[in-house]
Amino acid sequence: MADAPLYEAVGISKSYGHVTALFDVNFSVNPGEIVGLVGDNGAGKSTLIKILSGVHPPDRGKIRLDGVERTWKSPHDAIEAGIETLYQDSGLAPDLTIGSNVFLGREKLKPGILGRLGFLDQKAMERQAAEELKRVGIAVSGSRRTVSDLSGGQRQAVAIGRAIAWARKVIMLDEPTNHLGARQSIEVLSVMRSAKEQGLGVIFISHTLPHVLEVTDRVVVLRLGRVVRDAATSEFDAESLLGTITGLIEAS
Amino acid sequence: MTMTPASTEGQGRAAPAADPNPPATEPRDWARSILGNQQFLLLVALGALILYFYSKRSVFLSSGEMANILDDFCSLILLAVGETFVIVSGGIDLSVGSTASFAGVIGAFSMRGMVSHNDSEALVLVVGTIVCAAVGAGVGLVNAALINWLRLVPFVATLATLGAGAGMAIVLSHGIPIGDDTRAIIFSQAKVGPFSWPVFIVIGILVISWLYLHLSRYGRYTFALGSNEFAARAAGINVRRHLVSVYVLSGLLSGLGGMFLYLRLGSGAPTSGAGDELRAIAAVVIGGASLLGGSGRLSGTILGGLILTTVTSGLIISNVNPNWDQVAVAVLIALAAALQALRPGRRRA
Ligand SMILES: Nc1ncnc2c1ncn2[C@@H]1O[C@H](COP(=O)(O)OP(=O)(O)OP(=O)(O)O)[C@@H](O)[C@H]1O
Ligand SMILES: [Mg+2]
Repeated sequence: MADAPLYEAVGISKSYGHVTALFDVNFSVNPGEIVGLVGDNGAGKSTLIKILSGVHPPDRGKIRLDGVERTWKSPHDAIEAGIETLYQDSGLAPDLTIGSNVFLGREKLKPGILGRLGFLDQKAMERQAAEELKRVGIAVSGSRRTVSDLSGGQRQAVAIGRAIAWARKVIMLDEPTNHLGARQSIEVLSVMRSAKEQGLGVIFISHTLPHVLEVTDRVVVLRLGRVVRDAATSEFDAESLLGTITGLIEAS
Repeated sequence: MTMTPASTEGQGRAAPAADPNPPATEPRDWARSILGNQQFLLLVALGALILYFYSKRSVFLSSGEMANILDDFCSLILLAVGETFVIVSGGIDLSVGSTASFAGVIGAFSMRGMVSHNDSEALVLVVGTIVCAAVGAGVGLVNAALINWLRLVPFVATLATLGAGAGMAIVLSHGIPIGDDTRAIIFSQAKVGPFSWPVFIVIGILVISWLYLHLSRYGRYTFALGSNEFAARAAGINVRRHLVSVYVLSGLLSGLGGMFLYLRLGSGAPTSGAGDELRAIAAVVIGGASLLGGSGRLSGTILGGLILTTVTSGLIISNVNPNWDQVAVAVLIALAAALQALRPGRRRA
């Protein structure tokens, strides 16, 4: 146990007004590990993700990356540190093209003086975005289409592709199979597996328990803002996982 | 960045139109042709208006009247350009007209002393321009502060500065125009080719604004902010800083608009920009920008501004009661908004 986890949240609490969304939550992910984060609606899963991605500051608790304590002032800091997030609520700008969305926040500028004046190398971005999406197994044709022209599933695919393409250390996917058909959902699972093979830490939120049992190495169960179980996936079956989530099976 | 897919099957594949081999006509092209069409429609409308007024009164196409329309256009379009950035970013700036008046009055105070000292006209105008721009940027900063730190919605924040700016312009000037700078009027009417030289300054500002709105990272962030603020923030964009810059830009351009009004009148009149916020917003909306943010073209705003100034001049020349002008502007806004609602394909994510 000498090695610190790749990414770790210790004693995190967070309230919205007088709703306690998280209370004293400990959570971690190791390199090359897929951790499932499950819990009923409103259990606090998305809140934890938003704290880990720098969208919200925690009220209490610490965040450590590679054993070093970090404070995210904004999502920008977390992105810089190699942490990518797929948000449950759309993280895409619908009026921008697919390519512009893939490069949002890290635009390529033209070489030379034009670049220094802030002008975009749109062609290079569109081309590279198309390649990048293809590489992670996402073929939405035409990176110059605006996202508002895409179906829900296609948008989801673009958002996943963007996160996978940029992640260097940790990737957090908040209900990535939302809007996706059965076959596309299986695709997402394999995308997560290959991220794991690359040595990334993967955090997977889902209500589809068979997926969670199939792909994860470890499962963390949240109930009403508290961690009620953190155990190897092999210790669960479909019934016991559901029971732990709903509270029918009390935590040991 | 070096992920290899477990399979080359696309996730978007089963959904319609996600074929790996893109069909020849993509929805994007189709959408663009609609947008292109809208600009084309505006151009047709502008041409029709000009022909109509020309057929009624042939003086409409006289060089004197054209110069009038252009002058009118110049002071309006500066406000409308700033308004375009603000509206694309998902906000609204109601203060542009009163900022122009207020900046014009302050600028006129600063220039009055120099005029009476008989300083060189160019120097006077440079100083006046700087003062007007600075005052305008200051008002923009106040707007940004009210929105960013007091968390007021842009409508309320800029309504407050509209009132404050208009009021202060009247209080400071005691309601009368400041300065009597006939030299400035004459100086600013010096022609370079067919147009007076300030027209070229406005053209320069339009070109730079177009480049920055549509081809630069600054413009990209402006669209992203208006399209989905959460997405912009989650992508690591400093949305607060960007929002501040957009309102400061709008204020600065409004201040310059105030300077243009000074050049036309030879004075800083406290009500010179009154009502121009409506015209500026109208130009942007007629130009096809959505008040929801995230879409718009500067070329549309320019055409919208030309249409508005043409209608105004046309009505004046046709000896119509000038108060009809406001009604005409209102009708144009309503028409443009109705057209926008009919435009297909815009879904919010
Ligand atoms: N921005 C917010 N403002 C106020 N309350 C919030 C906000 N976001 C979340 N909450 C509350 O915090 C609690 C946890 O919400 P959260 O979104 O983290 O749940 P979740 O586990 O992701 O649920 P779901 O499975 O439905 O996505 C809920 O009670 C929710 O109402
Ligand atoms: Mg959630």
